[in-house]
Amino acid sequence: MSTLWRSLLLVGLMSACGLAQAFGLADLSRQLGEAPVVKGAFIQEKHLRALPQPLVSKGHFVLTREHGLLWLLQTPVQQDVRLNANGIARRDAGRWQMLPGSAAGTQQNKLFFAVLQGDSSGLQRDFELNLQGSAEHWQLRLTPRSLLLKQIFTQINIDGGRFVERIELRETQGDSTLLRMPESTRADSLTETEQRDFAD
Amino acid sequence: MPTERRLPWLFLTLLLAVLALAGWQWRGAAPLSADLMTLVPGATQDALVQRAEQRMQEPLNREMLVLVGHPERDRAIALARQLADSWSASGLFEKVQWSVQADLDAVRQQLLQGRLAMLSQADRNTLIAQPHTFIEQRVQRLYDSFAGVSLVPSQEDWLGLTGLIQNSQPRPAAVQLDTASGALIAEADGQQWVLLRARTHSNAFDMHLPLQVADLLSQARLQADQSGARLLAASGLLYAANGQRQASQEITWVGGGATVGILLLLLLAFRRLRVLLAFMPVLVGMLFGATACVALFGQMHVMTLVLGSSLIGVAVDYPLHYLSKSWSLRPWHSWPALKLTLPGLSLSLATSCIGYLALAFTPFPALTQIAIFSAAGLLGAYLSATCLLPALLKGIDLQPAQWPLAVAQWLVDRREGLLRKVGSPLLLALLVVFCVAGLWRLDSRNDIRQWVASPPQLQEEAQAVARITGYQPTSQFYLVRGADQTQLLERMQALDTRLDALIAQGTLKGYMALDRLVASQAEQQRLRESLKQLPAHWQPLLALGVTPQALAGELAQLQALPPLDIDQALSGPLSEPWRALWLGADQHGVAAIVSLQGLSDASLLRAQADGLEGVQLIDRLGDLNQVFSATQLSAAELKLLSCVLIVLLLILPFGLGGALRIVALPLLAALCSLASLAWLGQPLTLFSLFGLLLVTAISVDYAILMHEQIGGAAVSLLGTLLAATTTWLSFGLLAVSSTPAVSNFGLAVSLGLFFSFLLAPWAASRPAKECP
Repeated sequence: MSTLWRSLLLVGLMSACGLAQAFGLADLSRQLGEAPVVKGAFIQEKHLRALPQPLVSKGHFVLTREHGLLWLLQTPVQQDVRLNANGIARRDAGRWQMLPGSAAGTQQNKLFFAVLQGDSSGLQRDFELNLQGSAEHWQLRLTPRSLLLKQIFTQINIDGGRFVERIELRETQGDSTLLRMPESTRADSLTETEQRDFAD
Repeated sequence: MPTERRLPWLFLTLLLAVLALAGWQWRGAAPLSADLMTLVPGATQDALVQRAEQRMQEPLNREMLVLVGHPERDRAIALARQLADSWSASGLFEKVQWSVQADLDAVRQQLLQGRLAMLSQADRNTLIAQPHTFIEQRVQRLYDSFAGVSLVPSQEDWLGLTGLIQNSQPRPAAVQLDTASGALIAEADGQQWVLLRARTHSNAFDMHLPLQVADLLSQARLQADQSGARLLAASGLLYAANGQRQASQEITWVGGGATVGILLLLLLAFRRLRVLLAFMPVLVGMLFGATACVALFGQMHVMTLVLGSSLIGVAVDYPLHYLSKSWSLRPWHSWPALKLTLPGLSLSLATSCIGYLALAFTPFPALTQIAIFSAAGLLGAYLSATCLLPALLKGIDLQPAQWPLAVAQWLVDRREGLLRKVGSPLLLALLVVFCVAGLWRLDSRNDIRQWVASPPQLQEEAQAVARITGYQPTSQFYLVRGADQTQLLERMQALDTRLDALIAQGTLKGYMALDRLVASQAEQQRLRESLKQLPAHWQPLLALGVTPQALAGELAQLQALPPLDIDQALSGPLSEPWRALWLGADQHGVAAIVSLQGLSDASLLRAQADGLEGVQLIDRLGDLNQVFSATQLSAAELKLLSCVLIVLLLILPFGLGGALRIVALPLLAALCSLASLAWLGQPLTLFSLFGLLLVTAISVDYAILMHEQIGGAAVSLLGTLLAATTTWLSFGLLAVSSTPAVSNFGLAVSLGLFFSFLLAPWAASRPAKECP
């Protein structure tokens, strides 16, 4: 289901949070926001209740502090998605196309956009945040606060160390999505291709 | 004399009866209305169109849209919540809503039930014509990280129909849901705006409600200011409140100004306190006017009251007629003075009534009301001036000031001096040149917006609300009819194609049509048929691990889904925004509204309905403006007709020549006023024309006065001057009204009075013959 959340989470964790703990949300936020660019491979497993096997797809991502997120799915289908302040765009025949209704502030479908349109600073407003562990190995658990979100998610679990490594979304309907990003690396700048992808 | 004793009592009895009737009429709520639409001609007799118009008008008159803005979202939400709570407690509102709490289970249910009926046309076509592509796209969406949350779990909808339906629902432009609070939020100008919708119990035309709502809003504004927040509001209620405030202010100004002016004039001219009783016919006139109006129409519009307050100046003319005889008649006694002027008074009443009642035959309820109000008012004033007032003024020793007579004499001398040098024919020629040149430049302009004073602040706020929320309803809409639902939806589809083209051009922002919510039964059947071909194409789904049984089961379930009609499709929670569009069935078939967003050119919209059967653009305002222009012509005809009537009436006392002369002067005065309007750069509106129609009626009176020459030229001119001054005091003050239509009316009447006074001396046949 919607893995948009995970990207929002990444963005959110880079900027939000502020409770003081041994290893607090502020520390986590600082830690994750340190690198200007993070990239790596991802493996997505969609566990649908009715399917014996999860739907597995692979690709890689580029997350930047300034330009947003590139999400390039490579197998079994190819699909490039870009997420930035303007909304979500999908690459179609080499050109980025904004998804209708995804542009910041143009979403209304009452129930639907609720989930699509989380804003980075709003994470704490929407979820109860519970952080455990240390800077090298931490777990963040998100429990929805609002009635609306409770009808969609039961819980979101995020694990990581230097970078986010694992995100699990549990849906109220019984499906879940697991996203792994085992080998993320830090970069100081974007490659030319990546720059082009973010530019147009 | 017995009549002199009996008349006052007879009149007092009548007055008591009218007072009792008025008391009964005003026993509960004031029978006043502020609904502009009751003032304009019912453009249509078509009940369906009327119902559609009401449906579209209702939210304007009952709903208020408020934006609570603060740079911090939480503060804005807290404030909106607080506001909603206190408004709910106020008892004025049926519903105050600031947050959305959706029942997702009900939405799921509706989506599942509507899988065939609610699928969009594009998706339907893909499924029917390219089933292979359809399945491939579905598989892609299953992998897609950004396809969004589907409310229905995939095992209940492997084909992904519900997700497609979700995505095709309309999304009002700039508003988003704050998931934590459920508030609807728009971001603009560095502020977080929380949307608050309040719906009142009754509508804007309940006289008290708009003011109460406006008060509540200004309290809320104060509160918002204190917490550093801003409030923006848009509602027809606020315009109504503003209109009412303004009307009562103007009644005070126009009525009060005219009253003070006239009382002062009476005192200055006649120098007796008791002469102030001459104001009594004015009060009686207002009473008779209002009572007749409520009796005939059930209620009275505030605009009638504003325009009607100008009656003061005309009503006071009756007592002035015989009071002014005190300059020539020494000693002055009330009853003999009345007797001397009674024929003139009666003629004046008759001609004025003819002029006013001519207004009643225009198709404008507004003018009919004013006509009835004025005619009844004049009758009341006439009766009180002839039956009661002389008794009250009996024995008064009138010693009028001599200076007004001196002024009048001076004017008469000036005029005669001028005539000796120039001569009437040359003056007339000059006047004709003035008129022709002016009329040449005159342009006519009519717009219903002239009837409403739109304060810039309200307009700016409404525009800001439209900009921030992206919600820009237009007053135009389409009414689509069909013999049955299938035909209706097909006709809408034809219209959609054209409207989509307008959207692509950028001339239209958006529209809502029921065929976007639900497919016709024939289309639903076509889709159901095409499901049979799916097993040949669903291999990619099987490859994911979906079992053939699961897919076959889903297919069987889909095929067994009952077809949905419009009523059923509208019953679910997703359909809420669509419900107002459905007008249902009547004996001729079914009908629905297609609403539009974003202002567009009305003629362009009208062209879209060309050649589409059963599709009609409803543009009430545009239609009205056309009716206005058409009415200008018929008003001019009425004016001529009323003149003919007046001539016929005057032939008896004055002969054909005298009658023609007396009527020609007001007509010439009207022409001069028209020309002056043009020279002043003012347009001719329906209202200025009606004003001139009135002036003809009033100024016939002056011509009669001057023609009769009772007491000599100077005394007659003085009588005319007094009458014109009092009339101008009331009508002229209308010119300061902030409602363009009213001020236009005042200006036209003022000009008309000025020229009538200027030309009136030519009504006297004798001096005219002596002079050249």
